[in-house]
Amino acid sequence: MNLKEAAIGETYIIKEIRTDDEDLEAFLFRLGCYSGEPITVISHLKGGCVVSIKDGRYNIDNGIAEAVLI
Amino acid sequence: MSNVIAVIVLAVIIGAAVGYIVRSRKKGAKCIGCPAGDSCSMKNIKALEHSLEQSKHECGCQSGK
Amino acid sequence: MRIAFAGNPNSGKTTMYNALTGKSEHVGNWAGVTIGKKESPIKKEFSGGASEELIAVDLPGAYSMSPFTPEESITSGFVRNENPDAIINIVDATNLSRSLFFTTQLLELGIPVVVALNKSDVNEKQGTKIDVKLLEEKLGCPVIETVSTSSRGLREVMEKTAALKGKGQKAPYMQADIDMTDKNAVDAEDRKRFAFVNSIVNDVETRKILTKDTTKQDKVDRILTNKVAGIIIFAAVMWAVFWISQSKIGPLIADWLVGWIETFQGWVAGLLENSSPFLQALLADGIVGGVGAVVGFLPLVMVMYFLIALLEDCGYMARVSVVMDPIFKRVGLSGKSIIPFIITTGCGIPGIMASRTIRDERERRATAMLATFMPCGAKIPVIALFAAVFFGGASWVSFVAYFAGIALIFLGALLIKQITGHKYRKSFFIMELPEYKIPSLKRAAFSMLGRAKAYIVKAATIILVCNAVVQIMQSFNWQLQLVEEGMEDTSILATIATPFAVLLIPLGFGVWQMAAAAITGFIAKENVVGTLAVVYGLSAFIDTDELALTGGAGEVATTFGLTSAAALACLMFNLYTPPCFAAIGAMNSELGSKKWLWGGIGLQLATGYTVAFLVYQVGTIITTGSLGSGFLPGLIAVLAMAAIVVMVTIRSNRKLAAEYGAIHSKGGVTA
Repeated sequence: MNLKEAAIGETYIIKEIRTDDEDLEAFLFRLGCYSGEPITVISHLKGGCVVSIKDGRYNIDNGIAEAVLI
Repeated sequence: MSNVIAVIVLAVIIGAAVGYIVRSRKKGAKCIGCPAGDSCSMKNIKALEHSLEQSKHECGCQSGK
Repeated sequence: MRIAFAGNPNSGKTTMYNALTGKSEHVGNWAGVTIGKKESPIKKEFSGGASEELIAVDLPGAYSMSPFTPEESITSGFVRNENPDAIINIVDATNLSRSLFFTTQLLELGIPVVVALNKSDVNEKQGTKIDVKLLEEKLGCPVIETVSTSSRGLREVMEKTAALKGKGQKAPYMQADIDMTDKNAVDAEDRKRFAFVNSIVNDVETRKILTKDTTKQDKVDRILTNKVAGIIIFAAVMWAVFWISQSKIGPLIADWLVGWIETFQGWVAGLLENSSPFLQALLADGIVGGVGAVVGFLPLVMVMYFLIALLEDCGYMARVSVVMDPIFKRVGLSGKSIIPFIITTGCGIPGIMASRTIRDERERRATAMLATFMPCGAKIPVIALFAAVFFGGASWVSFVAYFAGIALIFLGALLIKQITGHKYRKSFFIMELPEYKIPSLKRAAFSMLGRAKAYIVKAATIILVCNAVVQIMQSFNWQLQLVEEGMEDTSILATIATPFAVLLIPLGFGVWQMAAAAITGFIAKENVVGTLAVVYGLSAFIDTDELALTGGAGEVATTFGLTSAAALACLMFNLYTPPCFAAIGAMNSELGSKKWLWGGIGLQLATGYTVAFLVYQVGTIITTGSLGSGFLPGLIAVLAMAAIVVMVTIRSNRKLAAEYGAIHSKGGVTA
């Protein structure tokens, strides 16, 4: 499943980043968002969700949320 | 007499204003008085374009295209 | 000795740079405020005993040495190619596990690095402990805890940095010799680096509150980023900013200031009693009156800048961009577009420049073209003038001016989307949500004073010269004789401006004075106020209370000879036509194509004209029940502009369809 379906407050391990945009993948990587790393959804919003990656809070849109498989 | 003084005062005021504008232009400021004048990205546009070019280049080889 | 400031976005580099150099560069509590390189000598008190001059180089935030955005490439390009003597790596102590990735890369360069563990105060509050000694040992470079908002630890950082000149350090983690063009190898290498960073963090950091736990801040976020509540709160916050700055505190100070300016003007006029009437008019009305009219609005502008600085500092802006993202996406912009728009409320030029942080070219260009629909600081006096003279100083005028600007941005973006025809592009949005903090009053005051100084300098130079020129042009006719009373329409200024004024008849303000004001407004928007003051011989626009006593605001409004519908139309026209020349220059460099530049200017002209036309004609129907003057020619002009837009759209869509078809059939052949 992807981040859009994740339960709030639960920590998941990222399985894969599925996107054909290599730049996006590289960017997510540098924030610490890559396969094998933990990720927690803090809240779901209309256009995306708030996640905690490493020690940072980010808002990501649905496009990215769907690309992150957990 | 009062006309002469008025003309002198006028010349000084406008001269000072124009002088200030010309001087800051010569220093390269784009907008007169702007506090970000020295470091404005308008001024450094050449350097930015250069680094933009470079970033394309570097991205290209990083992603193996 | 040149010292580069490098670190992750929003780690506090520019705040530290400002503290060390005494500069007042733009700071804000969100990622990506700094978009260019800045250099300045460090103050003596921080020089750490070094004999030579220390120069600080502030760089945009970056997550790693391989750049992702143009600003990041400035940073990596600088530390790699320009050989700084030392690097101060500003590390966000609350997010060690991400920041140290970049740190380990910097340590490989062979340039001495000092790590400033910034935001240590936030860590103390959250009960997170970092073993600095151990971290120093692991990284092999000095690590100092700092709080750049209160200058804590800065002297120590500089001492260590100065002492390291010419030395280097052993990198704790060296990249293996791999083929950089092999994506998988690079990927594997970066994973190893992250694993190394994780092992360090595990050893040195003990956390009381885990970041993934939901905190009070998250609860606040949930409300502020809610799709309905978020927008209402944003509108309320902006309303409060305008209300305080333009109806409450601002006018209070302005009244007092305008009193002084008037006294001064009277004094000057008294001195000139025996001079020729032309010199009297030029000095007292043209220069003192014109500049005074503009300076009179300074308090309003200052209060507004102060409030915006507070907003930027507290971390709210990042949330606004989250709320706006879904809406912006629908019209073909990016959530990041909000940052240029908000910066534009200060000045359009950095606003347009800030669109650089947007990755997609079309979104970036659309943002740069539309940014100046947000009224900038120079337009505040114009808004305040119309509000004071025609609408009794009501704060709804500013609110309408800004929200109409936002509405125009949406409509404009939709139009650009139609014309360029990109509909299938996927765009991604990711925004770091920084910790909220109590904004610093001191910093907001500094930012306000810096901008106030700029405002005064501008008024005393460009505005002053323009006003003098306008005064001279309206005093003489083409035979270079002084214009006699009652013959004002024969002046040089009037004859030049009249042809333009004819075009403005359908908008309700087709008088040469208004046309002249609109034209001088292209040099600087404050000129609209200055020119109106000069051509109508008025200066006390703001003093509505006093005006009311002497029969006032109404009288000034009568002098202008405009109905309230025409006045609102005139204001809108001046706000939404192309910005000043300097901002057009910024648009030119940011759009990078003459076709887009002229398209942008055309769009702005058409928008300003159409909005003013609609406001005047509809307003006149509502107030008087009949159409305003010049309805038919105006309607034809607006329809002609609409026709051009439709034509361009159809043509580009056809071209796009042809391209799409070509790709499709080519794909078919290869398959």
